Amino acid sequence: MQNLALPEEVLLSIDKPERYIGNEINAVYKDKNNIAVRFAMCFPDVYEIGMSHLGIAILYDMFNKFEDTWCERVYSPWPDLDKIMRVRKIPLFTMESQEPVRNMDFLGITIQYEMCYTNILQILDLSGIPLLASERTWDDPIVIGGGPCTSNPEPLYAFFDIFYIGEGETRYRRLLDLYKECRSKNVSRQDFLIEAAKIPGLYVPSCYETDYNEDGTIKEFRPLHEGVPGTVLKELVKDLDDTYYPEKPVVPFIRATQDRVVLEIMRGCIRGCRFCQAGQIYRPVRERSVEFLMDKAEKLMKNTGYEEISLSSLSSSDYSHIEELIDYLVKDCTDKKINIALPSLRIDKFSVDAMSKVQDIKKSSLTFAPEAGSQRMRDIINKGLTRDDILNGAILAFKGGWTRVKLYFMLGLPFEQDEDIRGIAELANDIAAAFYETVPKDQRVNGRVQIVASTSFFVPKPFTPFQWAPQNTAEQFIDKATKCKRFISEQLNQKVIKYNWHESDVSMLEGVLARGDRRLAPVILSVYKKGNIFDAWSEYYHHDNWLKAFEECGVDPTFYTTRERSDDEIFPWDFIDCGVTKRHLLNEWHKAQQGIVTDNCKDKCSGCGSARFDCGICVRR
Amino acid sequence: MKVRIKFTKYGVVKYIGHLDLMRYFQKAFRRTDIQMIYSKGFSPHMLMSFASPLGVGIEGYGEYFDVEVADSEDYTLIKDKLNVTMAEGIEILDVVLLPEGAGNAMASVEASDYELEFHKENPLSEELLDKFLKADSVIFVKELKSGPLPVNVKDLVYDIRLIKENVLFARVNSSSADNLRPAALLTALLSLEGKNLEDYPYHTLRREIYRKNGSGELVPMGDVND
Repeated sequence: MQNLALPEEVLLSIDKPERYIGNEINAVYKDKNNIAVRFAMCFPDVYEIGMSHLGIAILYDMFNKFEDTWCERVYSPWPDLDKIMRVRKIPLFTMESQEPVRNMDFLGITIQYEMCYTNILQILDLSGIPLLASERTWDDPIVIGGGPCTSNPEPLYAFFDIFYIGEGETRYRRLLDLYKECRSKNVSRQDFLIEAAKIPGLYVPSCYETDYNEDGTIKEFRPLHEGVPGTVLKELVKDLDDTYYPEKPVVPFIRATQDRVVLEIMRGCIRGCRFCQAGQIYRPVRERSVEFLMDKAEKLMKNTGYEEISLSSLSSSDYSHIEELIDYLVKDCTDKKINIALPSLRIDKFSVDAMSKVQDIKKSSLTFAPEAGSQRMRDIINKGLTRDDILNGAILAFKGGWTRVKLYFMLGLPFEQDEDIRGIAELANDIAAAFYETVPKDQRVNGRVQIVASTSFFVPKPFTPFQWAPQNTAEQFIDKATKCKRFISEQLNQKVIKYNWHESDVSMLEGVLARGDRRLAPVILSVYKKGNIFDAWSEYYHHDNWLKAFEECGVDPTFYTTRERSDDEIFPWDFIDCGVTKRHLLNEWHKAQQGIVTDNCKDKCSGCGSARFDCGICVRR
Repeated sequence: MKVRIKFTKYGVVKYIGHLDLMRYFQKAFRRTDIQMIYSKGFSPHMLMSFASPLGVGIEGYGEYFDVEVADSEDYTLIKDKLNVTMAEGIEILDVVLLPEGAGNAMASVEASDYELEFHKENPLSEELLDKFLKADSVIFVKELKSGPLPVNVKDLVYDIRLIKENVLFARVNSSSADNLRPAALLTALLSLEGKNLEDYPYHTLRREIYRKNGSGELVPMGDVND
């Protein structure tokens, strides 16, 4: 019987002890005496969130296919356990062996959103690993970060030994081999890192230095060692049918956020929405074959026992074989009593038919993400969606029996005017009106239509055409949300429209960290020392501490958010080459200012720069 | 057809809550090729009935649930099919066919065997047990919404003895009307010597669950005939 890292009286005193016991179905256990490299893979948030992440599942499978490697999982202890671990000095442990993280050779941390940065320091601290990379020795694991936020890793530069830029499947083998070689030859940690910096896709922050201009912008960013490249090109998998994909993912005992089989059908997105970072950094679009997906779906359902399967991609309707795949799944899953979740589908005749087969129409709602209310603004953001597209989709849905519609919008987009905000209210109203025109009174299932319009505040992100855009202030955000609420209340059908909006404090901070530079590392350290963890959870978010930390560190947050950036400014993330060129992004920024739309990758190549990867949609045409 | 499944839940899986254990078994069945009977509707679920939920932290060596499988299944194969896909600590011990018209697992529960082990300081002794057996009544006060209700736990204990100097065995009433929790029994027992249960950490293990057969005798839940 396995020993647990936490004593019984601790496990019985905390919420959901199942988060910390491991032993789940399909968890991988190896004999540590036959292992050369021990890798702890961490999602720095609570277990239920971390266990829902496909990227970790893919890498866990890949590492454990390496015979010389044992990959284990680590998650953030919830604040109740965090307190106990600090008082009782219990070191952070991995799920599988329940051994201290500090015993591992590598600690890999996925960085999925800015609001988890303090949780990264929590992980290091509870593990007993020095927070600053510069203070670590061979007694500490190599701390490596990956995931979308590494498209601008600079605010975190001081805490990581290495960042992996791009998709994880390609370069880890080489890194592990280098590690084994260096350890056997007694190479210093620093020299190992310099060699690692020469592996494509790996960024070692201690091998670079930044100079600033008097106005605070970046003057120069340069490598400190010979052979270390000046730019880091992102890694990507060229053929998604010929790579790692887990057939036996770990099945948690506790209900995870994604409590289902997740089938990733493609990477990248053909639609260059100008606010969207994922739409740029995962280019070019690469699809998995329908045969590959059918095979994996079968095996995944059989090996996990999940009662639901979901398709994952940025825009599933753009997958070439979506109809064939869904028809197959609908037939197969109905037999097996398995539910199908079909998120991110464009609402058209096919998808409405498919959804009516797999969902309880009376209970479910349909989701549209027009992102902007007016056509003018949808053109600025290059959404590629007209008012007619949206209304026709809604009418189809109403004819299919749906009565609940969710609408997602953003406030604070560049060049926004009051008319664009009013457009949100008018669009919601038009959809409600379409319901009453489409569905005769005696056929209205739940009596009337329900529309939920939600707005989030736009935060400009690196590697998007809007990386030059000033972010709105917190006051502007609140003012806009108030206006939006008023415009909705002025609509004829306002009674059936519910309006939600999100907090603006977090958006400010997200904006600072997203486009931040190395001068933010002391701020993150300072706010962590003030006690902030789980910033992504509103009940634990302490905005005041962030404001104090900015002040103490002499950092002006508005430098990163509301400031106007010139076309030729050097950005902190410019040393990363994500495939899409800065020239293309700038061109898109200028087109946005003029409200000119750009074709999607299927219709016409826009010459973004990704063709040099020589794969996916760039070669299929 | 309905089968009754006897299983264990010990070791690290004792921290799994009851609802998660139900979900665990539903997934386990889906990992096998056993044909299950489902409820109707858009979210079909398996028709399962657990004898008695086991609290988080308590180990079970004789737990039961009933489940409906297709008539075409050979029920004698179910045990092996499930055991290849179990987490450590959960093991299928037996699968029996429920006769037509048998009461469901939960409604049939009458009594349970517990083993209560004090793993730090031991308040148990033969003298203490003697006091319990000789007393006319041993009172535990239940706190109900309607107010405190004194219960004579002696009426709810079928058998009680020491099986090691620090391990108490007790067969107690577990029926829905008169269920006696092990903590209530221990609280009442220790009060005979003025001791407070909170001062004595202990482990709870449920060894077996019983129903009453046609002759009114207690028989293990897995003994389904008559």
